[in-house]
Amino acid sequence: MAIKGVKSVETKYMEEREALFKSISQLGRRDFVKAAGISAAVVASKGLMHPHSFQLVDIAKAETANGGSGAGGFTFAYISDTHLYKKTLNDRFIRSILRAVDDVNALNPQPDFVFFGGDLAQLGAKEELDLGAQILKGVKAPVKMMVGEHDWFLDMGQHWQQLFGAPSYSFDHKGVHFVVLMSVNEKDFWTQRGFTPEQRMQTVAGLDNGTQSRFEVGDAGRQWLKNDLDKVDANTPVVVFSHSPLYKYYRDWNFWTEDADQVQAILSKFATCTVIHGHTHQMLSNRIGNINFHGMLSTAWPWPYAPTGLPKLTVQMNRSDPFDNLDGCGDGRFNVLRGGTVDQIYSLWDRNPVTVRASYLASNGTSDAPAATKLVSY
Amino acid sequence: MRISRKISLAAAAAAILTAGGVAVAQNRTTNPVHDVPAASANGNLVVGLCDGKTTAEVPGVKPGQTLTPKQAQDVSDRLMNDWKAKNPGANWDDAPKVAQNAPPPPARPAPPEGPVASNGGKQEAHTYGSYTKRDEEIWKASTDAFIEQGRQIFHDAGRLGGTIGVSCDMCHPNAANTHPETYPKYQVQLGRVAMLRDMINWCIENPVRGKPLADDDPKLKAMEAYILAQRKGVALEYGKH
Amino acid sequence: MRIRTKELLQDALKWALPLALLTSAACAGRDPASPPPPPPPDQPNAPTAVSTTPSTGVGDVNPAPNHPTAKVPSDLPIGVSPVLYAISVAPGQEPTPEQVKLGDKLFDDVRLSADNTVACKTCHDPARGFVDHEVTSIGIGKKHGQRNAPTVLNAMFNATQFWDGRAATLEDQAKLPILNPVEMGMKSGDEVVAKLAAIPEYRKAFLDVYGREVNYEDVGRAIAAFERTQFSGNAPFDRFIMGDDKAIDAQAKRGWALFNGKGRCNECHAGNAVNPLFSDQKFHNIGVAAKTSNFADLAREAQGAVDRGNQEEIDRLALESKFTNLGRFLVSKRHNDIGAFKTPTLRNIAVTAPYMHDGSFATLYDVIDHYNKGGIVNPYLDGGMQRLGLTEPEIDDLVHFLGTLTSERYDAYGKTEMARMNGKKGQRPERDTLVATGKKGDTGDVGPTPDAKIKDPSSDGVYGVFDAAKK
Repeated sequence: MAIKGVKSVETKYMEEREALFKSISQLGRRDFVKAAGISAAVVASKGLMHPHSFQLVDIAKAETANGGSGAGGFTFAYISDTHLYKKTLNDRFIRSILRAVDDVNALNPQPDFVFFGGDLAQLGAKEELDLGAQILKGVKAPVKMMVGEHDWFLDMGQHWQQLFGAPSYSFDHKGVHFVVLMSVNEKDFWTQRGFTPEQRMQTVAGLDNGTQSRFEVGDAGRQWLKNDLDKVDANTPVVVFSHSPLYKYYRDWNFWTEDADQVQAILSKFATCTVIHGHTHQMLSNRIGNINFHGMLSTAWPWPYAPTGLPKLTVQMNRSDPFDNLDGCGDGRFNVLRGGTVDQIYSLWDRNPVTVRASYLASNGTSDAPAATKLVSY
Repeated sequence: MRISRKISLAAAAAAILTAGGVAVAQNRTTNPVHDVPAASANGNLVVGLCDGKTTAEVPGVKPGQTLTPKQAQDVSDRLMNDWKAKNPGANWDDAPKVAQNAPPPPARPAPPEGPVASNGGKQEAHTYGSYTKRDEEIWKASTDAFIEQGRQIFHDAGRLGGTIGVSCDMCHPNAANTHPETYPKYQVQLGRVAMLRDMINWCIENPVRGKPLADDDPKLKAMEAYILAQRKGVALEYGKH
Repeated sequence: MRIRTKELLQDALKWALPLALLTSAACAGRDPASPPPPPPPDQPNAPTAVSTTPSTGVGDVNPAPNHPTAKVPSDLPIGVSPVLYAISVAPGQEPTPEQVKLGDKLFDDVRLSADNTVACKTCHDPARGFVDHEVTSIGIGKKHGQRNAPTVLNAMFNATQFWDGRAATLEDQAKLPILNPVEMGMKSGDEVVAKLAAIPEYRKAFLDVYGREVNYEDVGRAIAAFERTQFSGNAPFDRFIMGDDKAIDAQAKRGWALFNGKGRCNECHAGNAVNPLFSDQKFHNIGVAAKTSNFADLAREAQGAVDRGNQEEIDRLALESKFTNLGRFLVSKRHNDIGAFKTPTLRNIAVTAPYMHDGSFATLYDVIDHYNKGGIVNPYLDGGMQRLGLTEPEIDDLVHFLGTLTSERYDAYGKTEMARMNGKKGQRPERDTLVATGKKGDTGDVGPTPDAKIKDPSSDGVYGVFDAAKK
């Protein structure tokens, strides 16, 4: 029975959310600050959270304190591949990123930072990127950004860099060296064809066309990476973020980095190395040499598994239900264990969470296997 | 009234081909029409075969009357026997084979490069006995053009009638995860058996936020063509989940 | 033209099931009067065991081909699926008239309760659709239980029993309320047996029927046998889906189209000729439980108990009022079952008000209003829940359609109940038009409105039978 005069959590939430939406829809330069203020109010208001975003203690339990000292022992969360259109065109993807923001804000304890895995925008438009930047201001924890090809190929990264800075950078956190590596460069396929920037963007935005080039870190990028890592001791745990997987999964869909082998060679000196990527919109795990690879989920839609090339260690996620807009989508967390290895928790919306442990990958799948899928893709 | 349920498949097929019952052709002006006289000289019903040439009359049945199952079966058999007699050695499968259980067909010999005056005694003169490489190229190009139309629509939110910028390929690159070979199947969320086109329309209405296409809409057909083409070589497995 | 319904339906049934169940190769060209051709040996779904399926009605085909099935009564009404019967009744579970008579007697007998005031029938009254119309049921000493009484009608076809599915069979189900302290309040099965064995007529009846002294298992068996006769079909909708186009009116047809379209009802309540139960028998969180509880805290507390692995604590939670809202989670202990309850059948829904596990919706209007706004948002809300954007006339159509699912047996009662609910149309506590239409909140995209100009989904034959007479 509702008690008269007392607003339920849902009602209060809805009202504040409504105000946020309204602000976003009227977003102009002058309203920008105002919307940011409301957004912050939503997340900060006396522990009020989107009821969607509540997470149980068992998965919020950071398994980071398992003995030892030294590097690691912390958690960071991620949101990835939000593919925002303008709100007037599509508010479904906006609802999804808002849910993810609520999810990470509801984590208790809070993650040390929230990593954004690229493809904030769908077609690289200024207003798409601005909208995304605006929404991400609502994240309580510090946000680290990575660029995706959908953010880049309209203006070749101009506006994204204005908003978020250089696409490749590194930082150190609690003894772990983090690298954010721009891996979605493509060789010029557009000049000769006389493509407009919009045509170039539209082409890159599709997976199944033979027109675009393959992703690559490129000579300059690899040199930058080399220089950055030269300063880092081989025993320091390293986590590399890249939008495309830094290995060769399926060429036709650019689930692929053309110079992945050379990048892996640069990383091979590290005793503990984890690569975390976006772009593939699915549960995806791999191990090559001693590098563990983890794919992140998208908030917008899940991609199917590619017809060939799926890494053996990948435990597929159950086929998603198209009748549920959010199924197969989600966000997640990474627990950086003492010693610097990394467990990934896939927070699949409306499903049980799935944990892919470093020990599972390191044991080549012989221990700590995640729950198997019921329906594999075919 | 009673439902007419004593009609066998063969009879149904024959009924469609009677002069008064060329149902498909009537609705599609672009399709060729096989003109069969309504009645023979002595007033009996005349039934035509799908080759456009072979006909047979049904003694004792006037145009407009319904055939008994036996009469329908008889006339079907007669038509087929006539056709087979006229086309000895045609690649006719006497018994219907279930596609997925059939062994792969033997490799066909390459068709001749061009028209030939004499073909070494091999029978010719009907469609599948006289085609050449040129024909094959034309057929393939025509089919591929249709598939290409489907591919374009599949990748184009605007042509799909979508209102939120979502197109099919955004979740189904190369039509992956569409499983055309599994239809018909019970679609759990619809609570009924669905065909591929039902799901195309469902997707147009829901994730794509457009209007469903009519069952005979060319855009729907082209998309079916594209989706099926992506699964060439995959065994049919209707009902699979 | 006047359709001779009965004949038509019998014909339709003969055709519907082969269409639904046989491979196309096996049924093409087959005259139903002739024996079916032997299936090719390599067909994966060819029958491998001899079935006792009857030869009348739809029995031309073997409904559950891979294992022996129960004998399906030959006189099942339309709307009661022989396929479902064969799936739901195990071989040997077919009720005998003697078992049914004993079960019926037990079902009606208040002596099964601690203070001789409550029978099964008290909460499952046959005259009232086998429910009690209470919000939550009232047991001995006027104690209120936690859940709304589900109907016994067609319960035999449920995959599991109770709102949270904690009983696998009717037998198991029947035994539990008798021992529940707030329902019939007997202390133990032994106490029930002792009480019944002291009543000569029962002692004799059990000896006659089961050939042994009264025991608690047989009490469950007898009640279950009675319940297995409470299948219920022959609703106007059944006549419609079997080919009688005039069995329901235009408004109900619009409702059926909405049911399968914009209303998204079929996502969980799918109904068709083969499976006319209108329930997927799965467990979904639709937010009803989130209405009244601080759901997040509740779940956190319960998850703590599950983490500690203390079964006793979990059971205690299940009985305590505030935890009852956790639903299936307390049975399955699965994270995403929190607040989930079983999809109930919609058959006879008009005569089984009030609705939901807690009886918190008085009318079908309240139910549709709830779904129309996308349920109540909570962390475990089923992903299929989204706002529907149904207009008021569309809500009327849907409610009206639901009224066509009432069996002939409750025809008059159904009309009374529909009229009663219609009279309460002005009182709509669950209605929130702003949320339902997306002017407020963000509970999802709106589904498409069925466009009869392109295709009328209400006439889509694949739900039932194709029938020339419909046109």
